[in-house]
Amino acid sequence: MQRPDLKQALGRLLGPAGDEVGCDECFEQLDRYVELEVAGADADAALPGLRAHLDGCPACREEHDSLRALVSGEQAL
Amino acid sequence: MPAAPGRPHPRPAIVGSGLVKSVTHRSAAAAEPVSGHPPVDQESRAWLQELRSSGAGRDAAVERLHALLLRAARFEVARRRPTLPHLRGNELHDIAFEAADDALMSVLAHLDDFRGASRFTTWAYKFALLEAAVKLRKRAWQGREVPLEPETWSLFSSAALEPGAEAEQSELLTAVQHGIAEALTTHQQRVLVALALNGVPIDVLADRLGTSRGALYKTLHDARRKLRAHLAAEGFDIETWLQEAR
Repeated sequence: MQRPDLKQALGRLLGPAGDEVGCDECFEQLDRYVELEVAGADADAALPGLRAHLDGCPACREEHDSLRALVSGEQAL
Repeated sequence: MPAAPGRPHPRPAIVGSGLVKSVTHRSAAAAEPVSGHPPVDQESRAWLQELRSSGAGRDAAVERLHALLLRAARFEVARRRPTLPHLRGNELHDIAFEAADDALMSVLAHLDDFRGASRFTTWAYKFALLEAAVKLRKRAWQGREVPLEPETWSLFSSAALEPGAEAEQSELLTAVQHGIAEALTTHQQRVLVALALNGVPIDVLADRLGTSRGALYKTLHDARRKLRAHLAAEGFDIETWLQEAR
């Protein structure tokens, strides 16, 4: 039986399987990506490679999650 | 967008390395709408106009922008506060202010890079969130040694030797260790181990190694690709294995 912690560790080691953007491209596109997400649009189709990067880069993922939370909270007001 | 002053990950040359490049860089024409995007909204245009003006109008806009960035920086600090119990309130307050100050400089230096792909406020927020996040990661690791060696190999080893562990799992883990040792350069090994195994934040490692986040991620990306190729050459269908482990 395979262990979830091993799967997670191997996932971190091997990263995303598909093509991805780098950290700078991620930062450059993050505002548009988040607004598309919050609007319910297909952000992944509009900005291919960004989701894969977020899966592989914890720092960019954290910043994405914060921006999304901030923008979502504003729109909920 | 060019690197912002003090920004922790200035743009590296990563095109053609397997990382895709999906943004076409444009000349710095002011707020020219990006093709396929809606035109720049009225509020964003007003921000740009006021920040590009002079005198009291600009001063007031800069002050409002700083307040906006400070709100975002405080938001980030508040999100991370539970993971930073050793930091006192005044330290967190200072970090938020410094992040807002640095973000203000970056936003003002890059106004011409704003293309209207989002609202101006969303675009500006990301600078403050980045500055705050980087400062908090570095503060959390201040004075701590950054582990560059595979000190967590023992986790893999013990897991592999657990009673009942399948032979294939043990073989895979052995192949991973061999792949890291044999297929990667010493630099790639250290970066992969520090970031992916030892959980060192990429900004912290970039700072210690005197490089940028972007350059370090390229190293990580290349190491991962080599490791995947090594495992495939050894006959492992790693994607299937990962999916079965879910």
